[in-house]
Amino acid sequence: MSLLHWAVLAPFIMAVFVPVLRKKAALIHTGWFVLILPIVLFGTFLQYLPVTMNNNTVMQTAPWIPSLGIDFTVYMDGLSLLFALLITGIGALVVLYSIYYLSKTKESLHHFYVYLLMFMGAMLGVVLSDNVITLYMFWEFTSISSFLLIAYWYDRDRSRYGALKSMLVTVFGGLIMLGGFLVLSIMGNTFSIRELAARAPELNEHPLFLLAMILVLLGAFTKSAQFPFYIWLPDAMEAPTPVSAYLHSATMVKAGIYLVARFSPIFAFSGYWFWIVGAVGLFTMVWASFNAVKQTDLKSILAFSTVSQLGLIMSLLGIGAASLHFETLDDNIFTAAVIAAVFHLINHATFKGSLFMVVGIIDHETGTRDIRKLGGLMSFMPITFTLSVIGAFSMAGLPPFNGFLSKEMFFLSMVQLIELNLFNIETWAILFPVLAWVGSVFTFIYSMIIVFNVFTGKFQPEKIEKKPQEAPIGMLISPIVLASLVVVFGLFPNLLSYSLIQPAAAAIVPSIIPAGEQLDVHISFWHGITAELLMTIGVIAAGILLFKFMPKWGRVYDHFPGKVTLNQFYNSGLYAAERGSNAITNAYMTGFIRSYLVYIFTFFIAALGFTMWAKDAFRYDASAAAPIGLYEVCLIVVLLAATLTILMAKSRLTSIISLGAVGYTVSLFFVIFRAPDLALTQLVIETVSTALFLLCFYHLPKLSRHEEKRRFQAGNAIIAAGVGVIVTLLGISAHSSKFFPSINEYYVENTYEKAGGENMVNVILVDFRGFDTLFEISVLSVAALGIYGLIKLRLEKGGETNENE
Amino acid sequence: MEILMCIVAGLLFAAAVYLMLSKSLLRIIIGTGLLSHGTHLMLLTMGGLKAGAVPVLGEHAATYTDPIPQALILTAIVISFGVTAVFLVIAYRAYQELGTDNMEQMRGMDTDD
Amino acid sequence: MINLPILPILLPLVAAVLLMFLSKSVKAQRIVSVIASAATVLAAAVVLLKVKADGIQTIDMGSWPAPFGITLVSDMLSILLVLTASIITLCVVLYSFGSIGSGREAFYYYPIVQFLLVGVNGSFTTGDIFNLFVFFEIMLMSSYVLIVIGGTKVQLRESIKYVLVNVISSAIFVIAVGFLYSVTGSLNMAHISTRISEISAEPIITVLAILFLIVFGLKGGIFPLYFWLPGSYAAPPAPILALFGALLTKVGVYAILRTYTLFFYHDQPFTHDILALLALLTMVAGSIGALAYKDVKQILIYNIIIAVGVLLFGIAVMTEESIAGTIFYLVHDMIIKAGLFLLGGIMIYITGTSDLNKMGGLIRQYPALGWTFLIASFALVGIPPLSGFTGKLLIVRAGFETGEYVGAIVVLLSSLAVLYSVVNLFMDVFWKKPEIPLPETKKQTASLFIPAAVLVILSVLYGVGTEVVYPYVMQAVDTLIHPEIYIDAVLKE
Repeated sequence: MSLLHWAVLAPFIMAVFVPVLRKKAALIHTGWFVLILPIVLFGTFLQYLPVTMNNNTVMQTAPWIPSLGIDFTVYMDGLSLLFALLITGIGALVVLYSIYYLSKTKESLHHFYVYLLMFMGAMLGVVLSDNVITLYMFWEFTSISSFLLIAYWYDRDRSRYGALKSMLVTVFGGLIMLGGFLVLSIMGNTFSIRELAARAPELNEHPLFLLAMILVLLGAFTKSAQFPFYIWLPDAMEAPTPVSAYLHSATMVKAGIYLVARFSPIFAFSGYWFWIVGAVGLFTMVWASFNAVKQTDLKSILAFSTVSQLGLIMSLLGIGAASLHFETLDDNIFTAAVIAAVFHLINHATFKGSLFMVVGIIDHETGTRDIRKLGGLMSFMPITFTLSVIGAFSMAGLPPFNGFLSKEMFFLSMVQLIELNLFNIETWAILFPVLAWVGSVFTFIYSMIIVFNVFTGKFQPEKIEKKPQEAPIGMLISPIVLASLVVVFGLFPNLLSYSLIQPAAAAIVPSIIPAGEQLDVHISFWHGITAELLMTIGVIAAGILLFKFMPKWGRVYDHFPGKVTLNQFYNSGLYAAERGSNAITNAYMTGFIRSYLVYIFTFFIAALGFTMWAKDAFRYDASAAAPIGLYEVCLIVVLLAATLTILMAKSRLTSIISLGAVGYTVSLFFVIFRAPDLALTQLVIETVSTALFLLCFYHLPKLSRHEEKRRFQAGNAIIAAGVGVIVTLLGISAHSSKFFPSINEYYVENTYEKAGGENMVNVILVDFRGFDTLFEISVLSVAALGIYGLIKLRLEKGGETNENE
Repeated sequence: MEILMCIVAGLLFAAAVYLMLSKSLLRIIIGTGLLSHGTHLMLLTMGGLKAGAVPVLGEHAATYTDPIPQALILTAIVISFGVTAVFLVIAYRAYQELGTDNMEQMRGMDTDD
Repeated sequence: MINLPILPILLPLVAAVLLMFLSKSVKAQRIVSVIASAATVLAAAVVLLKVKADGIQTIDMGSWPAPFGITLVSDMLSILLVLTASIITLCVVLYSFGSIGSGREAFYYYPIVQFLLVGVNGSFTTGDIFNLFVFFEIMLMSSYVLIVIGGTKVQLRESIKYVLVNVISSAIFVIAVGFLYSVTGSLNMAHISTRISEISAEPIITVLAILFLIVFGLKGGIFPLYFWLPGSYAAPPAPILALFGALLTKVGVYAILRTYTLFFYHDQPFTHDILALLALLTMVAGSIGALAYKDVKQILIYNIIIAVGVLLFGIAVMTEESIAGTIFYLVHDMIIKAGLFLLGGIMIYITGTSDLNKMGGLIRQYPALGWTFLIASFALVGIPPLSGFTGKLLIVRAGFETGEYVGAIVVLLSSLAVLYSVVNLFMDVFWKKPEIPLPETKKQTASLFIPAAVLVILSVLYGVGTEVVYPYVMQAVDTLIHPEIYIDAVLKE
């Protein structure tokens, strides 16, 4: 266990102590204790910066299940470090923010911080694990902690609904992803990502390659809320806002991005990867930005916006995959896409994090997040307003903020696709920049909505619960820090270039970097009048126009009825699943034993009949059979007559006596077939059971025939005949297939010499197979106890029923 | 003879199944009785019938009937007697408590649990 | 020390007999039950170590050499399951003190539980096919009595169905043994195995394979033979349900695992394909059932069926890896099912109902119960590092490896159905606002909670400590994949 192992485990360990702290130090907000951890971890991770800047890596292994090749291996490279810093950095800010957001007295803080710490540890585990199985484990932990955090206010129906939804979608993805990992492990014979990447060329040739890729991508897409799996994210907004800022914007939803980036070295050689990741990402970006505009809840806008931005990053990673097809680095335009992806990932965490916190402040100070109720808050909350302008303008891609830079790089990558001659893209290439542009226009519009619908316009005091005022300074610190980063990264992007972006990008496309060299990631503000700049100007122009005339064209959204949304699909799907399964189950689980027996016997007939037919298993060989004698035939006639009597009997007594007759005939059979002991036993037992039958049914009313319909009876007869035929055929075949002498020879030889008896059956019973007899007696004892209990113990009479003992 | 006995056992099975599929509890239990008779006859047949003398050494015969199935049947007879007894008592008590011997009225999936 | 393997059967038997004479004093019964169960656990543990060190342990009963007498065979699989079953029984006995009620206690509840354990342990251990039938009968007879003990209306009604189905399955079992005897001339399982491999091409063997599948499938609850199960299992009180859910169906699965690796491994394209198909249908049917009900007992019961499907799929794939997965999962499922049923029993005890619509809000007063249940649920789903994971991992991986893609994906997705059903249950019972506010006073549940929690902790340890369990499981797998090991140990050739 190394320092990095402990860094992953520390949040879990801390989580154990949180309830104690909450109890022992109730006067101090638990958050203050928790805050220490992410700060310390952030500092710890910073120390790895020099390592990764030189494209070096750190790997340490702690064995867990070495027999299965499952180890807790931490692997630190540029990509992992970037995420680790995001997780702990934003984590610290979010914890600080939450201290002011969540009341010490009203909320069950220990739960909140336990979940939050669990999440932090799990997320660190995801980004630092080299072993896919441990990665999967932490991946599911993030889903679980997210579930618990969304359901933090668990007595609200919406919270539980959102929590369950997010869990179902993300765990579904996780399970499928596990399938992908397992397929990969079969292909590459290892669970280690690093080793898999080393074998990438040979994996590419493997017939299971595409299956593995699709399964892994499903995991990534569900987690990162890509179309059509994004539906869980808007409902996840039921979580307290610090959680939304942390999990559902800055970190957890980026786990899918991380996964795609991490597996790029393995999968990205394939054209499918380029197409699937690029197209799904881009479509998600447009779709979600379009939908964001119609939302009225600020957090919903941000949720859709997050989906859209994740799509943007995803599409960049997809396009970046093309870079792996070029040998040289010089004119490689596609590494630019990867660099843009990494850069935008950082930028998104900063501006979206601050925007979520701003929305949290608005909610906290006014009591609502509904933009129809808000307006004119600028004068009440000037600092919050400034923060929201910085965040939203950066998101819209306006200079001089960091979002402008990465958006430009995004456009550049899309435009350059047109020039590309790869994967049959020519025909469709033009769609990429067009969609990117359209998505950006909508992004611009909702960014404006966030700023102007809330802070300008008419103040409507009658619609909000509280008198708005500026938030306490503690609550403002975190968004201020993030907003300053937005500005700083915007003005000095090269602060990040070689410290974080280059190492991370290098980890995504390692194979194209010659030994000892680095990617060129110099980011500059001004490129001259380029296509991407023109696109940005176009976005601003079109965006302003559309924003101004929103009421005029906003009605297009009415043409998208609620019925056909994916959300509706999920809801009705779930409803149908419950209802449908209930209907199905009730249809066959009739509670009527006859139905069950019909299923069982039908299966008996079908399965055995089919097997006998398919295997041609019927054998008939009467050569070894004994001759048929007159006595036997007479007995058979009697037996069948008695059986028939039972079937036809109207009275209880007749049936019981006929059953006795059958029994006695069977014992006569035993006599004829040289089994005197059996005959005697059968006689005695038959007599006793007939008596028992009579005893039990003496007091019952007349045997009611329970009028049964003809069809009912015919069905019974067919099934009965089927079972009879199958049993007969099996018996004849088994009899005709005697391949070996029986072990009974041994008994003939040894009964007298070794066991000292003469009657073989008796000796077998009491000696050779005495063990059987011992337990046969046990069966009888249990039966006796049971009968005694049945007759004597009647719980319901005393009012005592099953479950309230 | 063995072939014939296989058919007889099959017929007993068929009759048993037919009875067990009916609604009346008594008929069902009688069905289980027939079922065990069929089972035992089938088991006996599997050892070969009348292939030799009674499996008692005092008979001093050249060949004996296979004693193993007989031993197994003895065990099985006793066990099925125990089961039948318990089944009967359960049926008796069920009739007392539930007031019916019609299986169709013993569905009770959701109403009274 | 040569007779060790018989102890896990003999101890409960002696205890049961002793308990029959102690029926007057409930206190004495409780003490003897606990001591006997603990002793059985201990004995099983000793045998386990012995098997680990020296390989398969056999006893020829009455010193008659195999295959002529009855041979008890403790291979690693048997003893692992015996140990698990004994631990579960101990926990259930402890749980019963606070829940089963003095009425049942006075009417031989404890001896019958011990008899049940005799049947279960015997079934796992015996090396003789007819003796297996006898142990099945002890187990079944005890279960008949347990299901009906107390004689409430539901119990009586459901026990009739339960007894009837099992009478039929026993009858088929007997004729199946008869057929097998006719074909192979033997009853000793190792001996039968050698003889079958000499005539492996005979179609009758395949037919017998299917016949035995029906027999054991009826016990194990596979599709389409499980229909009797949900109703019957829901009738008795929680501890009995826990015993049934954890042990009885698993004996059926064990018997399929044993016979399909020892007897019927010659025509795999046919038999194991049918098995795979049934496994898939079982998982699907179980999942549908688990989503269908808003009832604590029903949801958990249908989860038994899903698990049986997963296990069956592992057997059907029939590689070293999948069999390892099956064994991992079998032991896990026994422990966690017992734990879940006991926890479910506590919820029912607290609220007086098993209807989810009438429950709610328990988390405030019973947080430990809630979180334990949630952990157990995640273990059931197979979230690592909890206990269900390793088994599922191996089974799914083996499925992919042998080209059973659909099956492997269905196993994964069945986990989603499990997740949905148990998390919904958790949310409804613990989080939802109750319709009727809960009473202020908290019910005492410690005596019930501790045995249940022990099982859950055990399950967690089993998952985290996979590495420790691994060599044991692999030894069991070795015997199953290479039947010669088993045969040589029994026939000593």
